[in-house]
Amino acid sequence: MDWWVWPLILFIFTFVIGIIAPISGVGGGVLFVPLCTAFFPFHPDFVRGAGLIMALTSALSSTPQFVRKGLASLKLMAPIVAVSIITSIIGGVLGLWITSNFPEGKHYITIMLGIILFIIFIVMLTSKRVEFPEVKKMDKLSEMLGLMGAWYEPTLGRVVEYKITNMKIGLPAFAIVGFIAGMFGLGAGWANVPVLNLIMGAPIKVATSTSMAIIAVNDSAAAWVYLSKGAVLPMIVVPSVIGITIGARIGTKLAVKAKPKLIRYIVLAIMLLAALLDIYKGLSGLGYVPKLF
Amino acid sequence: MEEKNKTVEVKVDPMNLLFARAMEIFTYIGLLVMIFPGIFYLAMGEGYVHTHHVVKHWHKPAHHFWHSVKGIKVSGYTWFLTNLHHFDCLSKLGIVLLALAPLAALIVTIPKAERKFKIIILIAVLEVIFSIVRPLIMEVAGH
Repeated sequence: MDWWVWPLILFIFTFVIGIIAPISGVGGGVLFVPLCTAFFPFHPDFVRGAGLIMALTSALSSTPQFVRKGLASLKLMAPIVAVSIITSIIGGVLGLWITSNFPEGKHYITIMLGIILFIIFIVMLTSKRVEFPEVKKMDKLSEMLGLMGAWYEPTLGRVVEYKITNMKIGLPAFAIVGFIAGMFGLGAGWANVPVLNLIMGAPIKVATSTSMAIIAVNDSAAAWVYLSKGAVLPMIVVPSVIGITIGARIGTKLAVKAKPKLIRYIVLAIMLLAALLDIYKGLSGLGYVPKLF
Repeated sequence: MEEKNKTVEVKVDPMNLLFARAMEIFTYIGLLVMIFPGIFYLAMGEGYVHTHHVVKHWHKPAHHFWHSVKGIKVSGYTWFLTNLHHFDCLSKLGIVLLALAPLAALIVTIPKAERKFKIIILIAVLEVIFSIVRPLIMEVAGH
């Protein structure tokens, strides 16, 4: 196959992901990394590097708007990233160390990615979202930091105030999420949002917006690990970022008209398939099962 | 009119606004520097690494890839920052700017932050700086 076909395929592939991601509510990186690992010839090092830059780019593009509206709070984000930056760096270093020091490292990473994707599938299938959680009592740390805020909610026609709680549970959870994001090049909105919303009591809009700000900071720290190890190839990153950016703009408009439930189920089915394929591909690489293709 | 009045009721912390502005500026510049040289690189097919070689070796782990295409052991940033006359390396400079965006945004908020947040943000800043210099320390240490 001619070399120029690959950027073209990547562009089309990420363009489609960009369209379906906003409609389904599934992050683009969560679809890109496992599907790319399963179906494309690139080494997982480059797939994770590209996934990380894609997640970083989309988080950087949306965070300033969320911050200006009062939806993403720097006060809420700062203690979280102070914990999760370090774990995301450790994740990135460990992921590249495994592939460079073990001959079968690539296959172990692929299996672990499949397992993580399977967990994401379960989380997305079962977790419920609470639009405006009621926080009766703030925990001491949140109170001390003054973790509360307000934004104007146009659907309600009024200003909504919120308070944060359970920082003691939230911070270790974000440490784990940061590690997974750094190791696999995932954006990790799938985990950030339920922790912020269901555990820490942030309204869903605040949770999704603050999650984007967290992704921007975490992934920027992990990006240096991948850049310094040469795991970021412009030939993969550039068409992917362009594709997902254009696709996401169309997807956001279509999300108003489309039937999100049906598309969400289709995307979840794709995620499950990708998880199984990644596990199978890893096992076949280790010689436990015959090769599929 | 009513909506306008209610929007005014929400005061966004000046620290947040500074954060947003700095992040936006770095993101715009980073995206431009990453995408346009990246497109030129793909259109020409030539750069620090020829596109043919990328396709031939991209199934290998990153460190084997660079050994195969350039015969180098990649560590740190000088290997691409000293080759910015190639479009693929220039595109990586754009990624560097994107990765610097949150750091710059955090740094500019420090003077406006309350004392307790100054400390927390400073910790986050130091951690990001550590992630940047860590490969350089490893390089010097010979790992």
